[in-house]
Amino acid sequence: MEQATARHAGAESPDGDDRPAALRLSGLHKAFGANTAVDHVDLVVPQGSFFGLVGPNGAGKTTSLSMAVGLLRPDEGTSRVFGVDVWSDPVGAKALLGVLPDGLSMPERLTGRELLTYIGQLRGIEAGVLAGRVQELLDVMELGGAERTLVVDYSTGMRKKIGLATALLHGPRLLVLDEPFEAVDPVSAAALKAILNGFVAGGGSVVLSSHVMPLVEQLCDTVAIMAGGRVVAAGPLAEVRGDTTLEQTFVRLVRGDEHTRKGLSWLAS
Amino acid sequence: MTGGRAAWMLVGAVFGLLFAAATIWLSLVELPNSDVLGDLLAGVFGMWTLGWLIGPLWGGSAVLRADHFTLLPVPRRRLAVGLLGAAFVGITTAVTALGFVGLITYGARLGLVPALLAVPVAALQLIFVVLLSRVVYALFGVVAASRAGAAITGVLFAAMLVLTQSGWMIVVAVMYSDILETGFSHATTVTLRAIPSSWGVVAVDAAGRGDWLLAVAAPVGLAVLCVLLLLVWSVELGNPRRARATIRGSAGRAPVGGGPLDGTTGAVVRKELRTWWRDPLRTTTAVVPIAWALGTVLLPLTFDARLLLPWAGPALALFAITSAGNLYGQDGTALWQTMTTGTERADVRGRQWAYLIVFTPPVIALSVAFTWWSGSTWTWPWVAAAVPALLGGGAGLIIYSSVFGMVPGPDAHKRPSNPLERADTTGQSNVLFWVGLVPPAPALAVVYLGTRFDQPWLTWAGLPVGVLTGVAVAWVLGGLAVRKLSENGSDLLHTMRTGRPAAVRNAGGTDVARKGGTAEGLSWGLGSILLVPQGILPLVFILSDVQVRSWFLAMYVRPVFGVPIAVVSILAGVALYARAVMTRVDNRAGRAGAPSPAEDREVGLV
Repeated sequence: MEQATARHAGAESPDGDDRPAALRLSGLHKAFGANTAVDHVDLVVPQGSFFGLVGPNGAGKTTSLSMAVGLLRPDEGTSRVFGVDVWSDPVGAKALLGVLPDGLSMPERLTGRELLTYIGQLRGIEAGVLAGRVQELLDVMELGGAERTLVVDYSTGMRKKIGLATALLHGPRLLVLDEPFEAVDPVSAAALKAILNGFVAGGGSVVLSSHVMPLVEQLCDTVAIMAGGRVVAAGPLAEVRGDTTLEQTFVRLVRGDEHTRKGLSWLAS
Repeated sequence: MTGGRAAWMLVGAVFGLLFAAATIWLSLVELPNSDVLGDLLAGVFGMWTLGWLIGPLWGGSAVLRADHFTLLPVPRRRLAVGLLGAAFVGITTAVTALGFVGLITYGARLGLVPALLAVPVAALQLIFVVLLSRVVYALFGVVAASRAGAAITGVLFAAMLVLTQSGWMIVVAVMYSDILETGFSHATTVTLRAIPSSWGVVAVDAAGRGDWLLAVAAPVGLAVLCVLLLLVWSVELGNPRRARATIRGSAGRAPVGGGPLDGTTGAVVRKELRTWWRDPLRTTTAVVPIAWALGTVLLPLTFDARLLLPWAGPALALFAITSAGNLYGQDGTALWQTMTTGTERADVRGRQWAYLIVFTPPVIALSVAFTWWSGSTWTWPWVAAAVPALLGGGAGLIIYSSVFGMVPGPDAHKRPSNPLERADTTGQSNVLFWVGLVPPAPALAVVYLGTRFDQPWLTWAGLPVGVLTGVAVAWVLGGLAVRKLSENGSDLLHTMRTGRPAAVRNAGGTDVARKGGTAEGLSWGLGSILLVPQGILPLVFILSDVQVRSWFLAMYVRPVFGVPIAVVSILAGVALYARAVMTRVDNRAGRAGAPSPAEDREVGLV
């Protein structure tokens, strides 16, 4: 059923079949020993969509996104970015991609400006252009005040922001963001949302994973719900949530409802 | 507890017991000048104290730390006493207590009263070293967070290594001097006995002489010190969140364009140099080989031998390899940015250049200065041949080892300041030490031939040969690292992300990655001892007719038997090394095989 929904989401793309999807995962599978983390996942992210991937802890969101962007080798299946295979043509695919993984290190002993400059130089951005972009990103992310602070001393929210800045630096066409809003303060979150909405309005595509349903409802036009390593629902937001909220749909699909209703006995009265 | 840790604990316990036995033996030995005995014993107790000061730095953080209890409603003073009680539980305390029995046996030589007095004094001495160790560690945690602290950590670490590897030189020096007959100088005696760790000996000596005032004053002084230490410690427990000495970056504006550091490799070199300068772990990585080289070549000066001085530079270049062989493990999951930008080649080459930029100046400076100081002009061509081959070979070996033998440690962003939190690279370092001797071999062979046949041009041809070998090794091993990183970067990233290689868990969920860890650790430790101090050195001594006994087993029998003993010891050492390497290769093969998709799927289906 889930695969039918996924295919349905692909077919619904306004671009038709002649334009390749921004991201197409086909039969992605990953097991760690006896534990299957991602079980033959198919997903299509249409061009120009703002795609939300939601699911409980351990659903396989991070593993799926890691495989999708070439940071974790899948046991089976393929990932294509605008039709370019991530594992057979990594250089071509990675030029189109901006990635923000969750909880990974960066070159920790650089300041924010040095980090952005470093990544820009690795991407081969010309020096004059790079200096302008770095300044603009630092301003938008409001990281200019911590000019001499090393990334290792950044707070969690600042790390998210500098990570997002490195993902945006080279002007990618697809952004893949793992929990981009976690621990980000409301003011910065509003700035990030504005950046991401502008990016999508300008023709870019975004995939983000999150636990926060209202946020996904507010930002995304297309969603997929993962549970136990499988995609249990995917498609346009309105279709997936139906007459209820996304949160209610989510809870119903992952069957966590008994949990949420039961309180702790000694805190009840 | 990991296998490696258990092995080191066992090795430590064995050495500790030997040292404790030696302490008791020393307290009973008959010397021509009996006054020297008290001084020697005081010196030995000083070494015990030093061991207690350095030990915790070596072994990383204590099992029970005050911040484990921050949320529990326990008064600070009671927590201090409780943790002190916990600090007494352990092999080290038991072994030390045994060593301090030496004070009682020493007292027994002087009479019944000194022996009786020695019992509580020895206990007091034990409390003193444990408390001192805890307090110094707590204070050191504050210091170590800075760059200077990281450097001090490196020096202490290297000092431990030098003492364990070459400490026998000091013993030889004492045995060959006439101190045992004439005694130490008055100033030395007074200084030595003023140190609190000697006050136990002072009290027992005083009781033996009937100087009751001093016999009481010394233990009381020790008790007062203990109370003061306990107070300092309980205060220190209260503010573990003392402000950290934050290392700041520069406020540079525009990206650098042009110059020799242009391009992606140049960008990596700049990033690496900043990391070498700002990361306390890298500071320690750089300081350990420098301190080790200095300690090793300067130690023979204690018996006025300058023979090792010219080798300071080569020793630094060699030990730098063992120290910097886990660069990717140190930087952890930051690898993802190399992968997403597809700059594996630039990253490998940039790290190699940065390594050379960091270590070449001190290696050349030490080589020139110390060879000149030694006055052994014949060593110039040897040093000149060895240095470029060791530096270039090192640039190749460190990056090869960092990729192919990567050991995951705490991730880079989770260890902001403490250089003691790092991956356990004992195995890698041991292998790299010996493999690091290979690149200079061709160049040194050329120098040897030149010396042998008295051809100065051939002697000096060692230098270009060394340069060529260095460049070749750096180039080839770097190329292999680039290929491995490009093809298997995601597997390395997974290992660093999870702390274990892909799919090492078997169906039961138990970790099978490091089977035989204890045996491997023991093999490294015992192998080194059997190979070098019990094998190669006595063999050299016997063959060159040097009469040194010390702890060289083969020197205690007639040369006819000594040579076979040394040879067997060498063979046993090599065998133990081989065993350790095989264990490691086994584990690595298991890891390498596991993540392959086909096998993984089978595991998944079972």
